[in-house]
Parts: sequence; C-alpha cells; structure tokens
Amino acid sequence: MMRQFVLVLVLILFHAAACAHKASDSYLVVDVKDNAVKAQWDIAVRDIDFALGLDRDGNGEITWGELRARQTDISAWALSRLVVTRNGSCPLEMTSLQVDEHTDGGYAVLHLSGVCPGATGALGLQYRLLFDLDSLHRGLLRLTLDGTTHTTVISPTSGTLQFGVTQTSRWAQFKQYLVEGIWHIWIGFDHILFLLSLLLPAVLVLEMRRWRGVASFGLACREVLWVVTSFTAAHSITLSLAALGLVSLPSRLVESAIALSVVLAAANNLRPVVEHRRWLVAFGFGLIHGFGFASVLAELGLPTDALALSLVGFNAGVEVGQLAIVAGFLPVAFLLRNTRFYLRGVFVLGSWLTMLVALIWLVERAFDLKLLSV
Amino acid sequence: MFAALPAQSAPRKPANDAVVIEKLPFRAGDRRARELEVLRANARNAPGNAAAAVALAQAYFDMAQARSDPRFIGYADAVLSPFDQQLSADLLVIRGMLRQYRHDFDDALGDFASALKQDPERADAHAWRGAIYLVEAQYANARLECAALLRLQRPVLHGGCAGLAQAYTGHLNAGYATLQQALALARYDDQRLWLQTRLGEVSAWLGNNARAERHYREALALGRDDGYLLAAWADFLLDTKRPAEVVKLLAAWEMSDPLLLRLAEAETALQLPTAKAHVQALDDRFTAAKLRGDTTHRGEEARFQLRLRKNAVLAVQLATANYQIQKEPRDLRVLLEAALAARDPDAAKPAREWLQATGFEDLPMRALSAQTLQLPPLVNKQWGAP
Repeated sequence: MMRQFVLVLVLILFHAAACAHKASDSYLVVDVKDNAVKAQWDIAVRDIDFALGLDRDGNGEITWGELRARQTDISAWALSRLVVTRNGSCPLEMTSLQVDEHTDGGYAVLHLSGVCPGATGALGLQYRLLFDLDSLHRGLLRLTLDGTTHTTVISPTSGTLQFGVTQTSRWAQFKQYLVEGIWHIWIGFDHILFLLSLLLPAVLVLEMRRWRGVASFGLACREVLWVVTSFTAAHSITLSLAALGLVSLPSRLVESAIALSVVLAAANNLRPVVEHRRWLVAFGFGLIHGFGFASVLAELGLPTDALALSLVGFNAGVEVGQLAIVAGFLPVAFLLRNTRFYLRGVFVLGSWLTMLVALIWLVERAFDLKLLSV
Repeated sequence: MFAALPAQSAPRKPANDAVVIEKLPFRAGDRRARELEVLRANARNAPGNAAAAVALAQAYFDMAQARSDPRFIGYADAVLSPFDQQLSADLLVIRGMLRQYRHDFDDALGDFASALKQDPERADAHAWRGAIYLVEAQYANARLECAALLRLQRPVLHGGCAGLAQAYTGHLNAGYATLQQALALARYDDQRLWLQTRLGEVSAWLGNNARAERHYREALALGRDDGYLLAAWADFLLDTKRPAEVVKLLAAWEMSDPLLLRLAEAETALQLPTAKAHVQALDDRFTAAKLRGDTTHRGEEARFQLRLRKNAVLAVQLATANYQIQKEPRDLRVLLEAALAARDPDAAKPAREWLQATGFEDLPMRALSAQTLQLPPLVNKQWGAP
C-alpha cells in the first residue's frame, strides 16, 4: 500500500513526465460539395488495435499485412461511429486504405466517399469513434462545406454537430480580419506618425521658403487624398505579397526601415526636399509599411481556405483605421492652419519630436537595443 | 484556426505486407498484457460492479504512469464513466487521480474530499490533496494534509509531503533533514528513488552541487527508469554546463516530450547536427497537442519557446498561463527567465511575489527575480516584439 502512495506523489509532483506521449486523436477531413461527400480519416493504429485487436501473431508489432487483413472490420467499425446527414443520411463507404505517420506513431488512413439525399441545406455530423473506450479521445475535424471550411475538436459531449450554409461564417471571418486591421493601425504608432508627418503639411503651402495655410479645404483634401491613396496602394501590394508568402524580408530590416521612413518624412517637413510629390514618398515607404502589417497578419494566421477574403478584410480594416485618423485630423488642421499654434507648435515642434522619437526607434531596432520605454 | 492534418502528412501504401506500421506498448503474451486482459474480462462480465471497474482503472492508471502514456488515462476514464451517482470512496479516489492528471485540480480536490467524508482513514486521498496543494502553492492546506498522513501513521509519506512543504517555503535545510528522515524509513526502491531525487533537487537549490550529484547518482543506481529522475538529473547537468552527459543520458528517450526537450537543449548547446530534427519534433508534438486543445504541458512549451525557439514573448504568455495552474519552483523559474528575456518586468510580478511570500531560498532564482526589477517598464508591448 505504502509503495503505491508514494508513487502517487511521484506522479503528481512531476506531471510533465506523464505527458510524454499524446492522448488519442483522429484526424477527419471531410469535403462536402453539393451532395457528394469525400473524406480522409486518419485513425491511430494503436487505437484500432485497442478496439478490434490487430496483432494476429502476438509479437507486439502491427504490420501492413495485419492491418490490411482486417480492412473490412476496420471500415465497418469506423463507419458505424460516423454519421453524416444532409436532408437525410449520407451513407459512406471506404474506397481505399493507406497508412501515414503522425507525431505519436502509425495511422491507418481511411478514404471515404458517399452521396447525400440533398445538395443544399445544413450538414449534420455525429462522431462517436472510441468514446466508449477512451473518454480522452478527440476527433479533430476539418470540414469544407461547399467551399467554406469549419474546424472543430469533437469530444464525447459534442453530440451531433450542425454546420450551416456559408454566408454568415464568411462574413464573420471577413469582419474579424477587418477589426484586426483597424486595431493594428491604431496601435501601430509608427504607421500613424508616418502618416501624420505626411499629412501635417497637407493644409499648408510653401511660399518664399515660408509655410502658409492653403486657400481652400478642397486643395487640402486633394493633397490628403493623393497621399493616403498612394500609401494604401503601396502597402496593400507588399502586404499581399508577404502574406501570400511570395516575398519575405527579415523583420529587423523592415522595422528599421519603417522607423527610417518616419525620420525622413518628419525631416522633410523641417527642410523640404520633396514638396509637391509627397504621394511618391507615401508610395515608396508605403511598400515598406506593408511588410510591417504583414508580420502582424502572420501572427494572426490566415485561414488557407479564405485567404483572399481575410486579406481583403485586413487591408480594408487598415484603410478604415487610417480614414478615421484622417477624418479626425484634417478638419481641425484646416481650421488651425494659419495659427502660430499650428505653424510653429504642431507643424515644426511636432515634426521635430516625431523625428526624435523615430530616430530612437531606428537605433533601437537596427541595433536591437531598448532605449525608450514607451 | 488549424489545419486538421499536419503539413508533412503523406498517406501511402506500404511496399509489402511485412512493413511494420506500429509497435504496441506490449505483446499479447506479456505478463502485463495478460493481467490487463483478465481485469478487462472481469469488468466486461460484471457491468455495474464497482470493484472490477476500480481494479481495471487503477491498472490503466499505473500503465499510464509506467509508460508515460496518457491514452491509458482515457481508457481508465471510460471504464468509470458508467458510474455517475453514489460513487464509493474507491471510485472517488481513482476519479480524482484521473482528474488531477488532466490538471482539473478543483474537481479532483472535490473527489478526494468526498472520499474522505466516506472514509476519513484514506491516506491516499490525503496524500493526493497534499500533492495538489503543493503544486498550487497552498502551503497551509498542504501542511494539514501532511499532518493527516502522520496521524494515519504513514511516516514516509508524511516526510515526503512535509519535507517538500518546508523546502518550498524558505526552509531548505529543514526540508532536507525531513526528507532524509523519510529516506531512512523508506522500505521500497521506488520510495528511495523518489526521495533521493527530491534530496538532489533540494541540495541543488542550496547550492551544494556535490551533494546533489551524490543523491542523483544514488537514485540512478537503483536501476529503474523514471522520467522525473531523468529530467531532474538532466536539468542539473544542463545548469552545471555538462550538456555532453545529457546527450549520453537521454539518447534513447526521444519518445518522452520532457526528456526530448532536455536532449534538444543539450544538443543545441553542443551545436550537434541532431538538434535541428529534435527541435522540429518537439514543435510538431506541441502543435499536435494544441490541435486537441490540450494545455497541460505549457510549462514545458514555455521553456521550449524560450530556450530553443528564442521566442521570449510567446514564452512569457505560456509561462504565465502555466503559472495560473502550477506554481512549483520549475514553473517559477521559466516564468522569470521568460520575463527577463522578453524584458517584461510586469510578467515576472507573480513570481517575485511568490518568492517574497515563501522566502524560497534558491539563490539563482532570487538573482533572476532581482534582475526583472531592473528592467524598464513596458508600456506598449507591441514594440517589444520584432
């Protein structure tokens, strides 16, 4: 008795040693298009053995021959534990058997196909594999229903799952990435400062080496429109290229270049080099900022099935976020454009401060230091 | 959002019938296999018989432990699932054991409490509760359980429980002495192995490396495979900059995630070509666990991200999440190291508070904690990460 009790302590006091292997999972990939069902079901050979007994010669090893000999039993057992419905039951059959490896060993790969009574409407799926024998077993399902992908982990308490038809979930996915886009421009101070550095002079004109307010709101708007549109176009291009994995730059280089772009944009306000073609600056550096957005997107992860949609959503979100900043900035800047407060305080001092902050970022990012604790 | 299949998945038809596609945990003729088959038959032939179910579940639980294989926990759980109401103390204790295995500590404590209500003499329920409280850093509660073990005349169990409680709360020397006394009374090799291992750890915390090594070597000399011992000994070797010995020690232990982690760390330190494949294998295993929603190994994963992936920001998140559940020295240490690497002093706050409250004496850990106070505060974490 005592022996057992101390073993008890051993186990709990070092649980980590106890999670060496993985608990049991099966991987079920189902593709339903109209009334046609195709599926691939990876089930661990150990699990099949536990349920059906495969080791005919009792040597502790399962060979391809031993697995193949029980093909019919395996198919009957697995298929009795999976029910797919669309306007009624979709009877499935195993078309071929293969094997594969996952991190915890050998798997039987069952290829399934079937036809549903209906080609539209919700899809029902009930999964009960192994739940009677192993309550920690999970079914990892990836279902593509008429082009839209759903993923879920099925447990003994999941019951019958219902998957609706697409529209709502596509819209939800788009919305999710839209919100992420908005959020990431708002918390990305380097992007905001870059944009503001380019927008600050939009309500001004340079005359005889002195800044004055522009004559009309229309002129200011046109300038802003050019700058914002080119910035958008440029970062959309690189964001898409990077998100699709076509181009990739080291993040330290990108982050440093973004800081440099802010330095240069602010410096240009103090000692104008580019005056009339700020949209070109916006475009050129916009390309770099796109890579910066892409790294955020990479952290979020893009769903492979709805790649384009999510990408457009994220881009649109960045746009909406920018437009909100412009909408807040432009009217106020226009009203104040001829005041000393705007000309000296906001424009000159603001540009100096921006440049200083961006310089610190540049040094930090280029040399991987931490100077500014903001 | 995940793909249900890993990227490297490539189903195939083996070339011939003789190709081995899986090795089972044991042969049909093995003693353990036959014993399990008898217990299974008993349970099958007497549905509703609690004693048969408990015996089978206990056997599965022991298998899970011996083989480090959680599938057996799932089997045990399924054996118990028909018993929903009016559970006997035996059923409650085994259910609590299965629940704590999955880190469902609250429900496990509930089961042990119910078992003790039925039978106040159950030392195993007290031992489990003591162990859970130690993991949760509820030391006053743990001491009550240790005292109950003494009252029930289980001196070795009591010594293990009380010695650890002392060691975790700023009395390493006293804890060492208590564990030593328990060792003197221990009658079985597995008790000795466990106590020697813990004595090794306590000695290392005290900075007495020579004595720590002696304890670990005595534990190893008992000649039993034990994941906890191997991991603790490997950690000691890594901490004392002896990675080559870790490579030799753990070469045949790739199956175990925690031991593979230590092996990969040692190989990385030595810049061995095998390191890359092992790091990738760990990555795949953590990914596979995540797919099924398993969060019981976040402490290990934090260490993996910190030391082998150099992703300090993710390591802090994992170590912080792990610390919500488990608060033992190793959990603290990875939290402190990750917070330091991520330059995130706030993340280290719970660990600093633990050290403050317990007075835990490990000097390197105290130094780590002090270093986190030197960090400038992070206001915007966006810029902390590349």
